[in-house]
Amino acid sequence: MSPGERKVLVVPCSGIGKTYGTVSREAAYEVTEDLRPGATGLVALSLLVLGDEDARAAVRAHPAVTIDGCKLACAARMVQESGGHVTQGIAVLDVYRRNRELKPQGIAELNEGGILLAHAVAEEIIAVVDGVLAGEEGSTHA
Amino acid sequence: MPELPGRKVGIVACSGEELAEGTVTRLAALKVLEQLRPGETVTICLPLFLAGGAGDRAFARFYPTIAVDGCDIRCAARATEQHSGKPAANVVVTDLVSEHGLGRPEGARRLDESGRQAVVVTADRVAGLVDELLGGQWNRRSGSFAEGPPAATTDQAPQAGCACGSAIPVQTVDVDGEAVPLAALPLIFEQFRGAGKAPGVDVTRELLDIVRIYNDVPAGTDEAYTAALAREYAAFCRQKGA
Repeated sequence: MSPGERKVLVVPCSGIGKTYGTVSREAAYEVTEDLRPGATGLVALSLLVLGDEDARAAVRAHPAVTIDGCKLACAARMVQESGGHVTQGIAVLDVYRRNRELKPQGIAELNEGGILLAHAVAEEIIAVVDGVLAGEEGSTHA
Repeated sequence: MPELPGRKVGIVACSGEELAEGTVTRLAALKVLEQLRPGETVTICLPLFLAGGAGDRAFARFYPTIAVDGCDIRCAARATEQHSGKPAANVVVTDLVSEHGLGRPEGARRLDESGRQAVVVTADRVAGLVDELLGGQWNRRSGSFAEGPPAATTDQAPQAGCACGSAIPVQTVDVDGEAVPLAALPLIFEQFRGAGKAPGVDVTRELLDIVRIYNDVPAGTDEAYTAALAREYAAFCRQKGA
């Protein structure tokens, strides 16, 4: 991913101890593989934890949407500590509170509720992505 | 009464999102945690070493830890060593895939058959390492085995799971003029007092035995540790009784 490319980065926490971490991961894949594959890129959080220079440069060069599964907000914090800007931090729990019928279960494998909740998260992300890219385009033509 | 964490092995997976091998680490770790060694293992999210508190950063010093990485960048192993403690063992999926002659895993989101096979061999390797680490005398200060090859073992098995939000309490005590942080000491004191154990010679000896499970007590320092524990436990009981 080159710095000049118009992309929004998606950074999920991928938390391993709770189902909401898996929802964050699934939502990130849905956005970057299915819904907006050309307009988004995925950043591995472990690379930011390690301080990998390429990953740090990527989050500094592109707007980022983070997806966190718990209040510790590891993804948002790591993007900020890497010098990046969190355009929108999405908390899976908040999305769940707005969609109580989508109860996620399972960490290794999500139940149907978890898959649908991931989809709801993904829908919120693409609204942000579309808004960011439309704004960039608008500013280009202004 | 507070429960002391049982002796367990930590597992830290890189969970790298960009590669199928990252997904293999995550699923293999979960297989060990949930199915193969549920009572003997605990995990923590890698970013908590930075985003969490001191108790989270104590993870790899408290638990002998296996870092499970998808590729040779080895984010889990290197970040664990940088921010917590040196892992007791390392597993790299790409190495295991070569070793077992498997096809390259594909599908970070949904693993293909090679990926699923890689999960099985990775989980088996990690489970074997768990058994070795539980049998060995792990030295939390040096990050190495104190002596000899590990033997078979069992332990009482509280439920395995995620360690985030359950940071290990540490109390620093004066041992012969040196400030020594002792992991789990507040919990140990609480447990002893809850069991009605009054300060005294026999109880202090028992305290030392428990402290030794969670901390490295160097050879030849039993007397100094005993004096420190006797003093601190008496102070703890006085404070609680007040």
